[in-house]
Amino acid sequence: MTLLLLLAVLDGLAYAALVFMVAVGLTLVFGVLRVLNVAHGSFFAIGAYVAATLGTAAAATAAAPVLALPVLLIAAILVGGVLGPLVEKLLLSRIYVKDHVLQLLVTFALFMILEDVQKLIWGVQPIFQDAAVKALGPVEVGDIVYTRYQLFLLPGVAATTLVGLMWFLRRTLTGRVIVAVTQDREAATAMGIDAQRVYLLTFTFGTMLAALGGALASPTSSLVPGVGVNMIVLSFAVVATAGLGQIEGAALTALLIGLGRSVAVYFAPEFEVVIPYIIMVLVLLVRPYGIFGSPELRRV
Amino acid sequence: MLTLDGVDVSIAGTRVLRGVSFSIAEGARVALVGRNGAGKTTTFRAIMGLVPMTAGRIGFDNADLARVPAHRRTAIGIGYAPEERKLFPTFTVEENLRLPAEVLKLPRDEIGRRLEKAYAILPEVKDFADRKAGGLSGGQGKMVALGRALMVGTRLVLLDEPFQGLAPALAKRYGEALLRLRKAEPGLAVLISESNPDLLKPMVDTAFLIERGEVRPTAL
Repeated sequence: MTLLLLLAVLDGLAYAALVFMVAVGLTLVFGVLRVLNVAHGSFFAIGAYVAATLGTAAAATAAAPVLALPVLLIAAILVGGVLGPLVEKLLLSRIYVKDHVLQLLVTFALFMILEDVQKLIWGVQPIFQDAAVKALGPVEVGDIVYTRYQLFLLPGVAATTLVGLMWFLRRTLTGRVIVAVTQDREAATAMGIDAQRVYLLTFTFGTMLAALGGALASPTSSLVPGVGVNMIVLSFAVVATAGLGQIEGAALTALLIGLGRSVAVYFAPEFEVVIPYIIMVLVLLVRPYGIFGSPELRRV
Repeated sequence: MLTLDGVDVSIAGTRVLRGVSFSIAEGARVALVGRNGAGKTTTFRAIMGLVPMTAGRIGFDNADLARVPAHRRTAIGIGYAPEERKLFPTFTVEENLRLPAEVLKLPRDEIGRRLEKAYAILPEVKDFADRKAGGLSGGQGKMVALGRALMVGTRLVLLDEPFQGLAPALAKRYGEALLRLRKAEPGLAVLISESNPDLLKPMVDTAFLIERGEVRPTAL
């Protein structure tokens, strides 16, 4: 029982870290651009596939153990740096002033297209590349042999992302500029801020975070078509439960949902899939704007 | 310096500004007087490039402002204090004041100099410089919005209904700040909109009346 609980906590922490990486990008993009991006799940999946491809290529070289971890970051930067600006410039910049429903449909269409693009490039057979997990090796936690990758690296990257992001938004000029656009785009423009540039920067960064989540997830499970669907649905649950645009809230909610799901896996497996949504529904029944969100005043 | 020539603006299919024409010379203090909904705020937003024009031209030093993106208008010396203040609530007052100057990448000592100048004109703002802007009263917010406009408004400052909703004592202090500004910055042009012209008498030289989107000169 204690062993199972410990395993559930360890798995929950690692899983929460991955969910947070994707959810924080989603909530950041929504906070600034006011677009709920369904295609965010595709960036997670493509990040995972690119990391696995680069990992396999690196594994064939003499420097395989050294390259196993950096390729994850390189994959995220590549995917975010290429797909982020491309999607923002060609697609999103044309729909910022449109209705939210249309925005949702456009990003959903992009998600469907990118799902098929993944099948075209990587096929439908499972892909597995765990060089990064092997590079860090195992560790004993009590009587459990666990991976250092899941125990230290995943929560470490998530915590660093959270702290780094908060520091960046509060202490740097670029961060304050992003916050200003989030709070009032027109006022920010009147204060000399190029909101279009901020949108591009934020979307690219959000895409990179999703791709990094995917890259970090890739060594822990097989990649199959639809891997992005699960993550985007779960990320939506995290973001809605925390409150849209809430970064610290997303971290705590990811932890709550990650641990809840993990405990369900070990103690009530039939609830594994639904437990995050049960948590979300319970929270939203009490606080319709999320745990950390606040109601938005609208002129009528 | 600033010339509006036949400016038309339509919002949601309604013509809000109809051939608005007036000009402001260097150092002039000009009032734009009109009732609520007459088009004062739209005129200001058109000058700031925040609303598209359907006809006409806005010139600044003979340059066509249509060619200057909205976010570059602070770079040519135009400061704007919106009617609803529009401060960034999670920033402190001083962070709000600094932001437009920092975005312009002004040298640190120049930002410090401008900040001191703003505090000299609005001494009470310095007293709550460390407070979050979200916790200010409406009147304090108006003062900060003026200070923020002064941080980048080196040629022209647009003050949209600064006295709207101010208690009489606060309105008096705001008026005194504008008189201090006139003394300290004689070359700075100021355009103030107001629905009650009596409040502006000691502060402006000329006035225009705006009615249903049309502007004509008027006496105060």
